[in-house]
Amino acid sequence: MTRLRILLFLLCLCSIGLRAQDLDNLQIHGFATQGFLYSSQNNYLTMKSSSGSAQWTEGAISLNDAVTDKLRVGIQLHMYQMGQVGGPGIIVDWASGDYKVNDQLGFREGKVKVPLGLFNDSQVVDPLFLWILLPQCNYPADNRDFDLAVLGGEVYGGLPLGPHGGRLLYRGYLGENWLDANGGYVQQLAGYGLTFPSPPSGRAFGGDVRWATPWKGLTLGSSAQSQSLDGTGPQGTVHMPPALLVAYYAEWKKGRWYLAGEYWRSPFEPVLTIATTVIPVVVDQRSWYPMVSYQLMHKLQIGTYYSHYVNKAADTSLPANYSKDWVVSGRYDFNQYFYGKLEGHFLHGTGLGYSAATNLNGLNSNSNMLAARVGFTF
Amino acid sequence: MKTSSAIRTLLLGLAILAPGQGATAQDVMIVVNKGTSISEITIGQLRDIFTGTRSRFNNGGRALPVLLKGGAVHEVFLHHYVGDSPEEFRLRWRKAVFTGQGSMPREFATEAAMLEYVAATPGAIGYVSRVVDPQAVKVVTITADR
Repeated sequence: MTRLRILLFLLCLCSIGLRAQDLDNLQIHGFATQGFLYSSQNNYLTMKSSSGSAQWTEGAISLNDAVTDKLRVGIQLHMYQMGQVGGPGIIVDWASGDYKVNDQLGFREGKVKVPLGLFNDSQVVDPLFLWILLPQCNYPADNRDFDLAVLGGEVYGGLPLGPHGGRLLYRGYLGENWLDANGGYVQQLAGYGLTFPSPPSGRAFGGDVRWATPWKGLTLGSSAQSQSLDGTGPQGTVHMPPALLVAYYAEWKKGRWYLAGEYWRSPFEPVLTIATTVIPVVVDQRSWYPMVSYQLMHKLQIGTYYSHYVNKAADTSLPANYSKDWVVSGRYDFNQYFYGKLEGHFLHGTGLGYSAATNLNGLNSNSNMLAARVGFTF
Repeated sequence: MKTSSAIRTLLLGLAILAPGQGATAQDVMIVVNKGTSISEITIGQLRDIFTGTRSRFNNGGRALPVLLKGGAVHEVFLHHYVGDSPEEFRLRWRKAVFTGQGSMPREFATEAAMLEYVAATPGAIGYVSRVVDPQAVKVVTITADR
């Protein structure tokens, strides 16, 4: 019921007018989506997808105001429920003051989005994508909350590289982030018997450099992030020393075609201490994907990608340590506000997207899945 | 002479009113507030201003892009000077808005409303069809990238 009330609230805000309201410099934008999953085997993303599940609702509302030429303030409120993760509560997705000294230098302070690869800072914004699920190897929908934003600051800017050199865009950030109390990581820790009065948190810093090359439509870039995590609960602790994640990516857009790919490496070694038992967890994530899409008609876009994840620190022949996902997708825009998506997944391996709590009878190593999503944005 | 000029204007107007049909880059004028001291702008600078990667004119003055909500002039402008379709352009700005990196440029339903705003707002830059009388604003020359 609470979820329904929030959705109704969001839709009431929308009904003020279908167009984004512009009261002097104040802008209001938003979106609301409803998703559906059906899988041939296993329950995916904590939803009872093997029976068909529509327990996936998401929405956000964004307010933006240009206070002066150089100063802009804004906030985005986000809610999502996906199976057993997320919840009825509204999360501040980002909230910041943005002071742009000039095109080469600007500062944001508050809760700022984290640039990591091509899509991390925008991954919750469904209307931006053809895909219902972004490549799960790098953007796991059930465990995305931790990397989305930091409470701290960001420096950003763009440097022109001469008439034939393109442009270099940079962002660097420092701050603190914490696990979503209703997110996938907290549920995984609960699976070990660890609960926390306040969600584990840590210090994060990193940056992103992307080169908008002089070859029209081609962008190359790299991101890096250092992240630590600590939490203490009645049953024990979790401690993760600073871990470095590195990402490399490229995207190319030409006419109706869009091509992109990323490679991420993320080794981390959290240690769980439950009473007197110490459980070291060693993970060396290697993940990559290539994707291609084509604007078939004015309102219809189709595409495909292959998502590959493997934990090199474990036995990679075991399905639990890899995930390979072939995906085909289509999106139809009814108009500039309403859209629908349909997506097929051919999943191999169980390394991503499955929780023990919703798969009590164990997991099959392969599964197919059909996803559908409708959305509204303004 | 007056009749043929009126017919030409009418034909040009019809060409521009028909979405995407026949209108060319030459049918679109770039207009700025009269207080702006630039007289020409490169296509690259236009693209950067309208995609949000540049907030100043070459002379250092503030650049405030404004948009039409739709129509052939809007499509032609985006196609020739930004390199986007209207959908791609909207998506580009939605991404900036929803990630906290920018505010959508102000939009106008008519060229007259856009002209009125550009005329009254220092730094404003917009685009209109050549049939519109641009007396209250300054028309700038578009040059190739150097």
